[in-house]
Amino acid sequence: MITAYLLWLYRSSTSHAPNWTKYLTCIISAMEKASHLSVIVDLSPTQWHLSAQTSNQYPLSIETFLSQLLAFLNAHIASKHENSLVVFGAFPGKSVLLYSSTELLSDDVPSLDANSYLPFKLVDSTVVQRIMNEFDAIGELDEEPSCALVGAVTKALCYINRITHPSSTTAGVAEDPSIVHDPRILILSVSPDLSSSYIPIMNAIFSAQKLKVTIDVCKVYGPDTVFLQQAAHLTNGSYIYLERRDALLQYLIMSFLSPTSIRKILAVPKQDKIDFRAACFCHKNIVDIGFVCSVCLSIFCQPLPVCST
Amino acid sequence: MPVQSLQNTDVIVPQHTPHPLLPFLQSQSQTTLTRLYQRPSSCLSVFRLLGPIERQLIMNLLWLESALSVATISAWVLPEGKDAYDSALAVMTGLHIAQNSAVKLALNSTFKSSLRQAITGGGSTGSFGVPTDKDGKRQSANIENLDAYALERWETILHYMVSSGQGQNPTKPSQGVLYLLQRSGLMNNAHGPALQITSSGFQFLLHSPHDQLWNLLLQYLHMAEERQMDLVEVLSFLFMLSTMDLGREYSTEPLSETQKAMLEDLRDYGLVWQRKTSSKRFSPTRLATTLTSSSPPLPSSHSTGGSHTADGTGAVALSSGAAQQGFIVLETNYRIYAYTDNPLQTAVLNLFITMKYRFPNLVVGMLTRESVRKALGNGISADQIISYLTTHAHPQMRKNNPLLPVTVQDQIRLWELERNRLKSAEGYLYKDFASQADYEYVLAYAKQLDVVLWENAGKRCFFGTLEGHANVRGFIERRTGSV
Amino acid sequence: MRAIKGVLLTCDSAVKQILLTMNEKDPFVIEDLDDYHLVIKADEEYRVRRELEAELEKNTYSLETN
Repeated sequence: MITAYLLWLYRSSTSHAPNWTKYLTCIISAMEKASHLSVIVDLSPTQWHLSAQTSNQYPLSIETFLSQLLAFLNAHIASKHENSLVVFGAFPGKSVLLYSSTELLSDDVPSLDANSYLPFKLVDSTVVQRIMNEFDAIGELDEEPSCALVGAVTKALCYINRITHPSSTTAGVAEDPSIVHDPRILILSVSPDLSSSYIPIMNAIFSAQKLKVTIDVCKVYGPDTVFLQQAAHLTNGSYIYLERRDALLQYLIMSFLSPTSIRKILAVPKQDKIDFRAACFCHKNIVDIGFVCSVCLSIFCQPLPVCST
Repeated sequence: MPVQSLQNTDVIVPQHTPHPLLPFLQSQSQTTLTRLYQRPSSCLSVFRLLGPIERQLIMNLLWLESALSVATISAWVLPEGKDAYDSALAVMTGLHIAQNSAVKLALNSTFKSSLRQAITGGGSTGSFGVPTDKDGKRQSANIENLDAYALERWETILHYMVSSGQGQNPTKPSQGVLYLLQRSGLMNNAHGPALQITSSGFQFLLHSPHDQLWNLLLQYLHMAEERQMDLVEVLSFLFMLSTMDLGREYSTEPLSETQKAMLEDLRDYGLVWQRKTSSKRFSPTRLATTLTSSSPPLPSSHSTGGSHTADGTGAVALSSGAAQQGFIVLETNYRIYAYTDNPLQTAVLNLFITMKYRFPNLVVGMLTRESVRKALGNGISADQIISYLTTHAHPQMRKNNPLLPVTVQDQIRLWELERNRLKSAEGYLYKDFASQADYEYVLAYAKQLDVVLWENAGKRCFFGTLEGHANVRGFIERRTGSV
Repeated sequence: MRAIKGVLLTCDSAVKQILLTMNEKDPFVIEDLDDYHLVIKADEEYRVRRELEAELEKNTYSLETN
């Protein structure tokens, strides 16, 4: 009977039920957990050449772009020691891993210097060096193949899948600090939509949803892309069309630096108009009104007697 | 369908528990802080110690040339986040990072330019430490050795503390460390010449290494103030260490006299390694390089340190949190199996369990009423015991939900409550009032003074504290005198 | 009106009953206020606490007794 009384005393003395406190600390710790950011940079030489033309209202050369991007990447690493970062480059016809905070990509670690923080320096030199290597490798081609954006997105998703589900058999619950919370992908796009990539992009979006990955999109140059708008919308990310291209860094930091838990307190801009049009499966055209197979839900731009899929 | 984010979206303002160093920094003058902010490494470290909202706000303001109007900024804040935003702003102004007037908000210009410099690199402050050239003749310390050194230093300190009460004679840490322990109130020599662990010392032992480290460093900072050391030098040296690369050697040449003097202390704590005391170079250990992060500052609590794989260039590799593995299995029958051969861990466990058997790699014990009461008597709280067991739980235990058996958790808390079944307070019982009005009049006065511990209108009496008695008596005397 | 110096004890009702039994042997209670409160003589507090502790210890059983 005394025990029962004490138990009551204990329940009433801890003013919240234990579950409640546990829940609260859960949220707090989620904010303090390391976050992961995968950045996908669209590096189409043609588009960047166009972007640097002085006829644009705000010309943006790839050099300026990269220096501002590197400052943004450093800001992400600066925010927390454990934050992880991966950078993929989407080059014409291939996608390349430019930097990864979990593995060393180049053998020559930059020499230490007293005025810079080593991890920052490492990101900067690795990313720049690898981009240069890739650009050098692109020979004189008559026709530039389209940028392998989807390939980069898929690689980023694979990477996130790997780090969020460590293969270790210990099957640690959320308490293991090495498990990354709140993974995000940021796509910096300059190329227009590629209608042939509609289906792979949609597939990537669905797997991102499944992995609870947020996809943010920054359209640095060129017309709005329908597919990326949908990607951001469907994964609760934000799509931003860069209007003032001279303020790229400020855009990046204000909209894309904060992990999703912070976005519940400090709002980030979001596009409210989204183009939901799909591309047809037969000619890969973006259609306003299409025909849908009643069995497999494939979309076509013209009626077919028998579904081709 | 929008993806459900990992957290629930309920309106709960997340409260970030501020880092223990921040209150200390806030107590410093603006000039001290501004001098500190002249170094990019210090800015970067302070930035990392801040909460997530503060960090985002700083970043938002960092690249702006002009001040932003407060109205613009509050437009970003969602209604649910108002409180969190306000407290973040208060922290920033308290640290003099942001200058907040009623209408404009801007970063401290020194802080702004230094943090910019930290992020973009360059400048000539040398605040990230001057590395030494590779010495061909002598091999520099590798990460494994540094880890072993840090671990050995740190465990010496803790082991000394834990065994001080048991009449054993472990290796004594250096005089400086002993003084620090005494100053911080973790140990005292109230009972004779030998130092004895205090109740806050017992609590200290159950904290995570990261908290322990900052706890001692804070004390060190307080001492530095008294020893007339330049606080800016001390702080910036600690921050410099925290941004250094593990496994490299740095030159002592550019350090100031104060900082050179600190090297000796930090060597004793295991933060810095030097080949010889006169050596012109030093290497930070993992204890130092993780000061501003939450990754484990010690490679592994197991003395079987060989299992730890040095992760290449430590700063680059993702901090492997798995390094610190749990070792405790707690069963519903109050039995504890601790897979450890580490004397320190055994000694810490011995604070609150009754040992039964010891094997080369396993200690079996039991949580009993006596053992827990002994711990409670030493000033350790039930929550501390539970959190220690939780953080050090064996991976096998992590499959359980809840992690620790509820019965055991409740019982530990009940044992704690059992000690406090009787509360007492000295004071005066006021009774036999002439009339109800009289009683209510005096009671109202006593309540105003906030000295009433118990009251009962039916019996027309109340109990007031000892401190309030003089006032209440005076009041009654004045009253009866005037009638 | 009277003011009496003493110590206010706050406890659960079980402990209060034990205290009352102890009081019969060797009086120390000044006033029995309600189910959870007692006022006792200030200089008796230490003795009362010690005796109560001993009384409570009689009623605890440990697995370790064998």
